[in-house]
This record gives sequence, structure tokens and C-alpha cells, in this order.
Amino acid sequence: MPCWKTAAIPLLAVLALGDPARAADSPPWSEKVLGTPLDLEAVARLPMQERIAVLRDHGERLFIGKFLVEEGAGRPMATQAIIPTKRRRPVHLRFQRLAGLDASSCSSCHHEPVVGGGASFTANVFVSEGFESADFDTIDPQFSNERGSPALQGAGLIELLAREMTAELQSRRDTALAQARQKGTTVTAELETKGVSFGTITAHPDGGLDLSRIDGIDADLVLRPFSQKGVFGSLRQFTVNALNHHHGIQPVERFGALWTGTTDFDEDGIADEIGAADVTALVVWQATLAAPTRKPNLPADWQQAATRGEALFADTGCASCHIPALPLKSAVFRDPGPRETAGTLREADVEAALEIDLAELDFVKALPRDADGNILVPLFGDLKRHKIADAQEPTLGNELLGQRFVDRDVFLTAELWGAGSTAPYGHRADLTSLDEVIRAHAGEARTSRKAYEALSDEDREAIIAFLRSLEIVQ
Amino acid sequence: MTGLVPMHRALAAAAIILAVFAGTPAARAEEAPAPVPRFSEEARQAGIDHTYSGPWEYFVGGGTAIFDCDGDRRPDLFLAGGEGRAALYRNTSPAGGRLSFEPVDTGLPGRLLEQVTGAYPLDIDNDGLMDLALLRVGENQLLRGTGECRFEPANRRFSFNGGRSWTTGFAAVFEKDLAFPTLAFGNYVDRSAPGSPWGTCDDNALHRPRAGETPDYSESFALTPGYCSLSLLFTDWNRSGEPALRVSNDRHYYRGGEEQLWALPPGRPPRPYRRSDGWRHLKIWGMGIATTDLDGDGLPEYALTSMGDTKLQTIDQEGDDLLPVYRDIAFDKGVTAHRPYIGEDMRPSTGWHAEFQDVNNDTLQDLFIAKGNVEAMPDFAAFDPDNLLIQQWDGRFAEQGARAGIALDRRGRGAGLADFNMDGLLDLVVVNRSAPVSLFRNLGRDDGSERPKPLGNWIAIALSQDGANRNAVGAKLSIRVGARSLTRDIGIGGGHASGQAGFVHVGLGVAERAVIRVRWPDGDWSHGYRVFANQFVLIDRGEENARYWYPPREAAD
Repeated sequence: MPCWKTAAIPLLAVLALGDPARAADSPPWSEKVLGTPLDLEAVARLPMQERIAVLRDHGERLFIGKFLVEEGAGRPMATQAIIPTKRRRPVHLRFQRLAGLDASSCSSCHHEPVVGGGASFTANVFVSEGFESADFDTIDPQFSNERGSPALQGAGLIELLAREMTAELQSRRDTALAQARQKGTTVTAELETKGVSFGTITAHPDGGLDLSRIDGIDADLVLRPFSQKGVFGSLRQFTVNALNHHHGIQPVERFGALWTGTTDFDEDGIADEIGAADVTALVVWQATLAAPTRKPNLPADWQQAATRGEALFADTGCASCHIPALPLKSAVFRDPGPRETAGTLREADVEAALEIDLAELDFVKALPRDADGNILVPLFGDLKRHKIADAQEPTLGNELLGQRFVDRDVFLTAELWGAGSTAPYGHRADLTSLDEVIRAHAGEARTSRKAYEALSDEDREAIIAFLRSLEIVQ
Repeated sequence: MTGLVPMHRALAAAAIILAVFAGTPAARAEEAPAPVPRFSEEARQAGIDHTYSGPWEYFVGGGTAIFDCDGDRRPDLFLAGGEGRAALYRNTSPAGGRLSFEPVDTGLPGRLLEQVTGAYPLDIDNDGLMDLALLRVGENQLLRGTGECRFEPANRRFSFNGGRSWTTGFAAVFEKDLAFPTLAFGNYVDRSAPGSPWGTCDDNALHRPRAGETPDYSESFALTPGYCSLSLLFTDWNRSGEPALRVSNDRHYYRGGEEQLWALPPGRPPRPYRRSDGWRHLKIWGMGIATTDLDGDGLPEYALTSMGDTKLQTIDQEGDDLLPVYRDIAFDKGVTAHRPYIGEDMRPSTGWHAEFQDVNNDTLQDLFIAKGNVEAMPDFAAFDPDNLLIQQWDGRFAEQGARAGIALDRRGRGAGLADFNMDGLLDLVVVNRSAPVSLFRNLGRDDGSERPKPLGNWIAIALSQDGANRNAVGAKLSIRVGARSLTRDIGIGGGHASGQAGFVHVGLGVAERAVIRVRWPDGDWSHGYRVFANQFVLIDRGEENARYWYPPREAAD
């Protein structure tokens, strides 16, 4: 199983592809997306730039390709759940907006303003856990939470930040535990990394850990930076989830025989629908998407307003969660990543992880560095979950059920680095303007929202001007 | 089965069994895709050098107690020695590292550690320290833990008469409204009876605590008739909340005997289930019992080891009345394990310890069976490797002992699966007769390459509550992953002369999260505790949140 070894194909043939959405080993007119996967062992031997190019080419083809039934699209006897789960009865409709399938391709929901971006309300998805109510036929949020499709630009840097932060938090935990054992007393440790506080933990001499005062992170101290809820730890994990949920293309690493006893869990007649190498290509394509940047060549009045708005953004307290930049030590993206669990390919599942040095990419080269040489990733976020709604202003907690242990009114801080390109806003993509979404902030953001509302019209406009200057490169 | 006499009837029965199973196809690899762990035997490197041996009385027994004796939550090992001395080994394994143990002085007189057939750990006096029930050829001993792996004899303190029987089985349970555990001892042949050993099975004994502030076992019930028991297990077979005592008996010595089930009505003497209660006559060479709920119906299945084929019983419910009528599904499930699965010796197997655990963390319970000729019985396999029956997603089990690396030429007896190096993978200890103890480290999934790969996700759960029954013996765990509920019962007993206490291991497959609910021994259900995979979880009754626990990373940590 998950070994990079696959039937080798000439790399030049890959590079010479014409139609980017067509399988490499198919005739030019073929509608197929999946073909012979890359030989990642061969790819890993290529110079970095060439390695990235090959993987991006293959990954983009998979991302924009519209999967066919004959290559595995559809899951007649499997639900959308992230844990392989059988339907109770065969599905009536192959495509269905609620329980899925809801998309033929990744790009059908991630395409604004460019492929890999987000989408409007029309491309919302429903994130029912899919364990019990796979056949629900209502959009009542007690059964299913509705979410807008987020933009993926800069996702590689986001994941790398999360990996470094997780490593530091867990190191603090380990140190506290060792000290408690050594001293024979309880030891309380601050969970702070890259300037973001995740509360405190208290280690006991017997190795027990009191987690009651952690804040904005899961109890295993794994920072999960993806999805609007902040419940997915890596692009790979999310990609595996999404391939099944949205397309019914079931990755072998989770739905294959090892964990389900069958090569055709969804009973569509297609075995081992997508292997580890193709998932890697998809991951690398997403991870290498250029991060959003600031709109160049702004008119003078916009630039003036944006500059003032950025200062006001900080003054009102918005920047306490939407932190302008976080420092990243290493831009080497390893796939599989270091924190995967069973069901998503793990480092120890392969002989060697594939390395992609994002520092080789122009958009990373263009990012500033601090005095210690860290890359300053301008995400305008903190990769932390916060309570963002309350009884007085419930708009951003517009759901009845929590998701994956996260309460209904708690969400990951949205990274604002592409805010100018990603309207409409909010988790449900149902807030039409930046002003509207700012005014919807409550819970922990209530004070900042009040400060924003107390500004003059002109000052609020300046903040909008600033946010509108943050855009996804087209 | 301890005799060296010819066994015509046994052979005849086994021959029939073999004839029936002769057509059973061996599971092909592609039909058994569930992950197979790779074990590495490293007892000697880990510092364990111990053998269970002795004459006829020690053809049976050979147990181990797995529990934490020094308060560091790592599972330590008590090993029966038979004619030799039993030994206690402290676990010094670093998390995820090599297995490492060191012998410790229990503080006990050496004579008490001789003639030991097996041991079970439990906290008898509710002081938070693990005690031990020692099964012996002669006076059984209750040992009171005093901390730091030291013990003191407690028969007098607990007003416990250890008797002089040949004891080979044990089980304990906290009955309703009793502050201390009820203890059941299973006895084998009464060697002093006229005509021994044939038809001279000793009675088993049940010790209920008297009311009071300290354990007082001055009253006991003789469970008559006894049929040469080799394993006992308290079980809530009918979901009544009232434990019953299941007894597996060795037909080799009894006359007119059978497998037994005893009802334990609160405050009243135990009584055996009879034909009129639905109980059906079953004669086997009962050596060990393991239980789990394989089909998720809330009613336990039982694996019964024997000579020849292993039984796997499921309740055969017809109509609304729940009667103790059982159907053998061992053949359907592929767990008969009736003869060696490798080698040229096609004679019937001899099964001893049985244990359900999820050794590959795929959420499905697997079955380990210790195997080994009684001594030199010519009609049974001499090379008789232990079984590792890996459950597949179709509910059948596939033998993977050879591939897993546990098929040694040793005569297994007692055993236990526990995570000795706290890496989320169940390791294995097997006490062998007249051969060194085997200690297998679970290295991960065997994929044919040099380096094993990781297995599935897991959690390990330890319960505690204040007052009596601090370790919640009798509790049920319900672990929700996706649409499935995995269950575990916390009990003391069963297997073959071997028991364990401590973390309960649960494989989670590909689940990253789980919700744990506890049915405490008094029947109250907890709220759901939300936990992440690959964690050791401490659940203290009444607390809102579970705590996590982390093992020492280095030996000196």
C-alpha cells in the first residue's frame, strides 16, 4: 500500500501534457482525470524547481479535472463521513447538494477569483458529520452546518506555521510533564507560540495533565488550521476527506482494504480509486499556491486610506486576532506531514517523506524576513479558534450543532490576507460586505467590533480600504 | 488436562473434529487484509529470565498478573513460577522504546512465592494500591500492596482462609452494595480424595465480604459440585446488572460434569443454572475463558479454550425470554484453532489462555490463544504455536500467528496483552511451561518490508472513582467512533490463571476523535467524554473532563 512506488512514467511525458485536465496516459480526447500516478520516487530525485513543476502540473490536473463515474466518482454505498461509513441503503441520486456528491471537481467550488480560490454562496457545502443522517433532506442546521468554500492560496505556509506551532506547544507540554515528574510538584505552563496564547496546562507529578484552561486549541495540542471551524490538521487530511465527501473518489489510504477490508468500500465497482501519489500531487498543488498579497499600484487616495485603515485596524483591536504576520522558521513542506494519524498517510508509512521547499517559490522569496531569518507570513490571522458569536449577536454562530468537538459559536480566526478577493463573507458566505461581517463579530470580538462601530464613517471606510487592498493574485 | 494416560475418548473426539474441519480452507492473504502486527521476542534483552515449571500439579497454571505496582501507571509483571518462585518485575520501559524490566523484591517470605500457579491483581481494600490474589497448590494468598511494589501477606488481616486446594482459576467482582470484592477461586483435582485423580474434582469457593470497615472473608460458600475448573469469569450474561459466575471445567478428570454458570442473587447463596433454566450440557477440556461483545448486541460472546477446537459461544435467543442457551459459532468465525497452523504436526492443539484485544488498532477485537502440549501427550501436537486470530471486516478471523512472529516452539499457558512501552501498541507476554517466559514487543504493521509501519489510532482508558471499587471493576466502556460503538468490560478473571488491571486499550482505526461513555459499576451512565486519538485518558468519576496522561519519555524521566 502506501508506498511511493508506482509504475514509472517518463517525466518528460508528464511535462509535455497538453490538456491540463486530462489523464497523462489517455488519448487527447479523453475525459478521464485519473491515470497513471506519478512515480514519486523519481520525482523526489529531481531538482527542486523541476520537482515542484512536475507535481504542480499533475496536481492542478487533478484539482480541475471532473471525475468520471468509470474512474470512481460517486459513492453509492458510502456516506460523506470522514470515517468510512456505509449508507443504510443505496443512494437515490448520485449528486445531491446536501449529503453529496456535490461537485465534479475541486475547482468547481474553489475558483474565485482564480482556481484554488473560494466561491460565493452558490458553492456552499454542508458539513454534516455523515455518520447517522446521511440521507437527511433538510438544510435545518441541526442536521447540517453550511459553509462557504474558502480560498486555498497560501495554504502551504499556513500548514507549515501550524506544524511549527504544534511542535512548540507539545514541546512545552513535554517539558512541563518532565519537570513535574522531576520536582514531584504540579507545574503550570503557558501555551504560547509565535506570540499567540493558547491558555495554560498544568502537569502533575504522576504524568497527568490538566487541560481545563487551554484556549482555542484541541486537547491533544495539535493546531488544526484548516476549515472554517479549524478542525482539520493538514491539507492532506482535508484532501482525503474532501475527495470522498464531494466527489466520491475514495483515497486508498483511508478507504482501502487496510482499514475497511475491501478495495471498493463505496461499492461503485471501482477498486482503489485514488492512491497516495495522486493525493500528494493534489496536496503539493494546494501547498504551492501563491499566498495573497497587497494590491499593487493602488491609486493614491486608496493607498492613503489603506495606510490609515491598517493603523485603525490595529487600534481597534482587530489585529489582536487577525495578527498581520507570523514568523515561519522553515519553508520546507514535507508530505506526509509529521502529525498525521491513521487514515491519512503518515511519515512512518513511507520510506521517506517528499520535501518541497516553498522558499524556492517567487512568492515566498518576496516575503519579508525578521532579524532571525524567519519568513514573515502575512496571513492576518492567529490560527486559533475563538468564540465569535453570542446571544446578542448570533450571526456568526448560526448553527445549532458543534462540529468535531468545537462548539457552535467557536470558529477559527479567518485569515484576511485575501479579504479583498473573497466576498461574500462569513462561514456561510452569506454576508455581502466587509462592513457587514465586521459588524457581525461578537463573543470574544465584541470589544473590537464595538470599537469599529464607534469609528467615524470615514475611519470605517479606511479600514475597508485597507482590507480591500489584500487580494489574491490573478 | 493434566494426565499422561492414554486418552482414547479424547482422541476419538478430536478425530471427529478434525474430520469436520478438514475441508476448511486456509484464509488466503487477499481475504485477510486487516493489518498484521509484527512482534519481536525480546524477554531476555528486556531483563526477564523466568520459567514456570514443576511436576504434575504444574502441568496446568502458569499465569501472570499485569498491573502497576509502583504507581507510575506502567504495567508491571508478576509471573508465576510453579515449583520455582514467582517473580515480580518492575517495568522501566521508556515510552515507545525497547522493553525493559527489572526484578523487584516484594518483601514477601519466599515460601509464599512458591507453588504459585497464577495471580490476579485487584484493589481489595480500596486503599488505591493494587493487591494480588495468589493462586497456589496449597494455601491461596491475598497479598496486600503497600506501595513501591511491596506486599504483605493479608490472609489473616482479611480473615481469608486460603484453604489447601490446588487452585487454578480466579475471578472477582464488586456485588451491589458490598464495599469489598467478592472473590471466586476455581479448584482443580482434590488430590487427597479416594480414587484421585479420577472423578475427584474439588469444590470451587466463593468468598463474599462481610459488612464492615475492612475486608472480612471469614464466610465462604463451597460451589458444589466442582468439576475441575481451570478458569472462572464473572459476567453479566443477560444485561441484568447482576453478575453471574461462568466456570470452565476440564472434562479429563470429572465424572458427569459440564461447563457451569452460577447465579449470584444479592445476599443469597449462589446457585447453578440448570437445564430447567435453559443451561445446556457442554463437556470440554475447558482451560480458559475470554469474553467480548463481538456482534454489538450488548450480550457477551465467550471463547472457551480446550483440547482440539476452541469454542466461541453466542447467545441463542429465541423469543423474548433471555435464556442462557448458547450456540457455537467458532467454525463460522474461523476461530476453532483446532490444530497447529504451521509445521508438520497435524495432531490436535491444546489451548490455554484466551484473550480478546485489538492488536492492530483497527477497531475489531482479535483473539489470542496460548497453546501448548500438557507435557508430552502423544495424541496431541507437540509443536503447538500460540494463535493470533485477526478479525476481518466480514466478522471472520484469520490466523496470523506465524506472520506476526509469535509461533515459537514453547508450551504456552497463561498470558496477557498489554502496552508495556506505552506506544499505543499491545505487546504480549506468554508464560510457558518449562521454558522461558516470552515477551513480545509489538513493532507495528508488517508490510513485508524491513521496517514495520504504524497501525491504527488508539486510546487507552483508566477509570477511577472514590470509595469502594476504586478501579471500577464491573464498569462498561462505550466508545463512539463515527457510527459505531466499541465496548469494553472491566473485569477481573478469566484467561488461564492470568489477569490484568490498568489501562484498557481500544483501537480506533482511522478515527481521530472518540466519545467515551462509562457505565459505572452501580449502573449509572456518565456523560460523553470527548477525547482525541492516540492518548492515554484518565476518567475520574464525577469530573467534567477527562484528563490525559503521558508516560515517561526516558527511563530516568
